[in-house]
Parts: sequence; structure tokens; C-alpha cells
Amino acid sequence: MPKPTPSQTVGPFFARELLWKDGGVVLFPGRGDRITLTGRVFDGNGAPIYDALFETWQADAVGKFPSGDDGSRPYGYGRVSTDSDGRYAVETVMPGSFTGPGGERYAPQISVAIFARGLLKGLRTRVFLAPLELIKDDPLARAIGDPDRLRTLIAARDAGDPKIYRWDVRLRGAGEAVFIEF
Amino acid sequence: MDVHPPYLYPDYKSTRLRAPSEPLVRVAPSPLEATGPVFPKHFVKDSEADLTTWGRSAPLGEKMVLVGRLLDEDGRPVRRSLIEVWQANASGKYPHPVDDHEAPLDPNFLGKGQVLTDDEGRYRIVTVKPGAYPWQNHAFGWRPAHIHFSLFGNAYAQRLITQMFFPGDPLLAIDPIFQSVPEAGRRLLIADLDLEQGVEGVALGYRWDMVVRGPRATPMGV
Repeated sequence: MPKPTPSQTVGPFFARELLWKDGGVVLFPGRGDRITLTGRVFDGNGAPIYDALFETWQADAVGKFPSGDDGSRPYGYGRVSTDSDGRYAVETVMPGSFTGPGGERYAPQISVAIFARGLLKGLRTRVFLAPLELIKDDPLARAIGDPDRLRTLIAARDAGDPKIYRWDVRLRGAGEAVFIEF
Repeated sequence: MDVHPPYLYPDYKSTRLRAPSEPLVRVAPSPLEATGPVFPKHFVKDSEADLTTWGRSAPLGEKMVLVGRLLDEDGRPVRRSLIEVWQANASGKYPHPVDDHEAPLDPNFLGKGQVLTDDEGRYRIVTVKPGAYPWQNHAFGWRPAHIHFSLFGNAYAQRLITQMFFPGDPLLAIDPIFQSVPEAGRRLLIADLDLEQGVEGVALGYRWDMVVRGPRATPMGV
């Protein structure tokens, strides 16, 4: 059995290589409510991380995972970098809830991968697009348990613009986001 | 045995403020990891696998051909999967605004390419050997020559970003990024010379196989 290839950091010099024009606009074959997931990524000192690659993968509006493309790029996949303030923004559709292999129901959520200088392995997590009271039965929410930790993965709907979901990510220290393995 | 580096590896200074301090939460298999982006058939142009043909003339440096296979942990080929590469030029300089290394840019080399694996998981790229370059992690630090790889596999669980190194490079011994990998995994990041994969009188041949997580780790069939 071959051993897996070890991970290494994406480094600081990826931006021109891995960024796509319109990588922050996620495509789907069907319709859905367009939303924007946006926020900032911070390090253990609370300083913005200005050189992260931020990727998303998700179900469509009815909870189906798209398998295909629009002829130019894949459906369901977003790829942006953070800016000098550590800010990212991905415009996408509100994902539907979906079912796991054992019939378990997942609340609306987006898979997130963060790669950066100083990250020898990409960080994987998920962000919920529903409030705490609506995700309590979600398998990931149950695995986390502690509501304070769980809150680090809940995007807040903007009071002024309901199409905007705000989610800041702290990689280390106070308010550190939950990261996952599978 | 885990071949991956830890998040926190203090000799690589940037990990100190970026590595999470809490343990990762292990999650049950879900369709979020069992599925993944599917790239259009024409996403990659054949010419993008040759990094030496962007300019009006050939780039400076030692021309090389790199071949290999993308496999999963069961040894099965990962077919029609996107591989993205990027690298410094032969002088160890990236055409990137934050690269302050005082080395020349090469107008004939952008250092960026991509290729799809074939039905047997094989890939082939043509490039020049990247140069080593200094960095400010520690006094007199130099990164060994390396090519960056971004892999997708066939499911988002298989997503991997890594670096390939060259055999016999004395800088490997002082590179905290390479040394962060447990000893059992380090050899897996080093290409082999494979002269016959080169082009006689033109390009030196190397071989490097990559392995992403297998179906046991990936909840296929969801």
C-alpha cells in the first residue's frame, strides 16, 4: 500500500498561480438564493492573515452536490485569497440541507479549506448558515458539543442585508475556530 | 503512521501564530468530503503542461521533464484529476509582488502550469529546475529547490497541497518546512532521477509519484 504524500505549505507565493478570475463567484446548474459569505481570517495575535487561500465546496440550493461544470469551471467550488485586511468574500447560493450515508440530516453548511504560509497542512472546517437553535441535531454540531466552540462555525446574518453572512475565522488562541479531520 | 507534518513546528516560524492550538474534531463521513469539484474537459490546455513555451524564447536554466502518477492509498490511479504546479525560476525568483529576493526575473518564464492526469493517473510536465532562494525564517536560511503542487483527487477529502524536492540537495537538511515532515515521510517528497524520461541532449528526466487518501478514508458511494 503506498503511503500518502505528505502535505507542505502553500507558501506565500501562490496568488497569481492559484487564483482565478471570478473564483469568488460560485456556479451552480440550478437556481437558488444568492448569498455572500464574507469575513476576515486572523492569526494567534489577532492580526489579519493577508496571504491565505480560502476555498469552499458545497451542495446546491436543494442539498444536491453538483457533479459537473459550466464549461469553464466546476460547479459548487469557490476559491479566493484574503486581502490585506485578511478579508475574503465568496458569492454563492444558500446550500440546502442534505443527508449523510447513514440517513443523518445535515444543516445548511459549506465546507471550507484554508491554505497559507505557516500552515503545513491545509485547515479544513465547515461554516453553518443557520442559527445555533436550528443546527443542534447536525452531526458536526453534535461532535463538537460545546456551544461556545460551535459558535465559532456559525455565520451571522447581516442585520442590514439578509443576503450577507459574516464569518470571521481565528486560527489560534481566543475564539479559535473548530477545525476538523475526517 | 502519519506521514504529515504537525501544524505547529516552531522551527518554521510562521506556524507559531497560525497553527491551531485545539485538537481537530474528527467528523463522520459526509457527502461534503466524498464529492468534490469536477473540472471541465477543456479546463486544461495541453500547452499548459509545458512551462517553457510561454515566452518568445526558451527560459534560462536546466530544462527538465517530470513524469509520475497520481494514486490513492490503495494504489489505484486517480484519473482525470487536476494537478496545478508553480515554482521559482532558475534564479530562485518568483514573479510575485511579495518576493523581495534580489534575483532576476526571466521574461520567458512564468513558473505556472497545470495538467490533468490520464486514465492511468499519469502526468507529464516540462519545466526548468527552480533555483534555491534565501528566506528570512532564520539566519542564512535558504529554501531548497522545490516545485509546488496542488492536487484535487476525485473527492474533496483528497485535496492536497505539497512541494516536490530534488534528490541529493544539501539544503534539505536545513529546511524546516521539509524537516517538519516525520522522517518516514520525507523520502516521499523527493523526486527520482529518471534519465530516460528526459529528452536526449535537451532535458533531464525526473519521476515523482503522488498519493492521495484512498477510498477507505473517503466515504465513497455516498
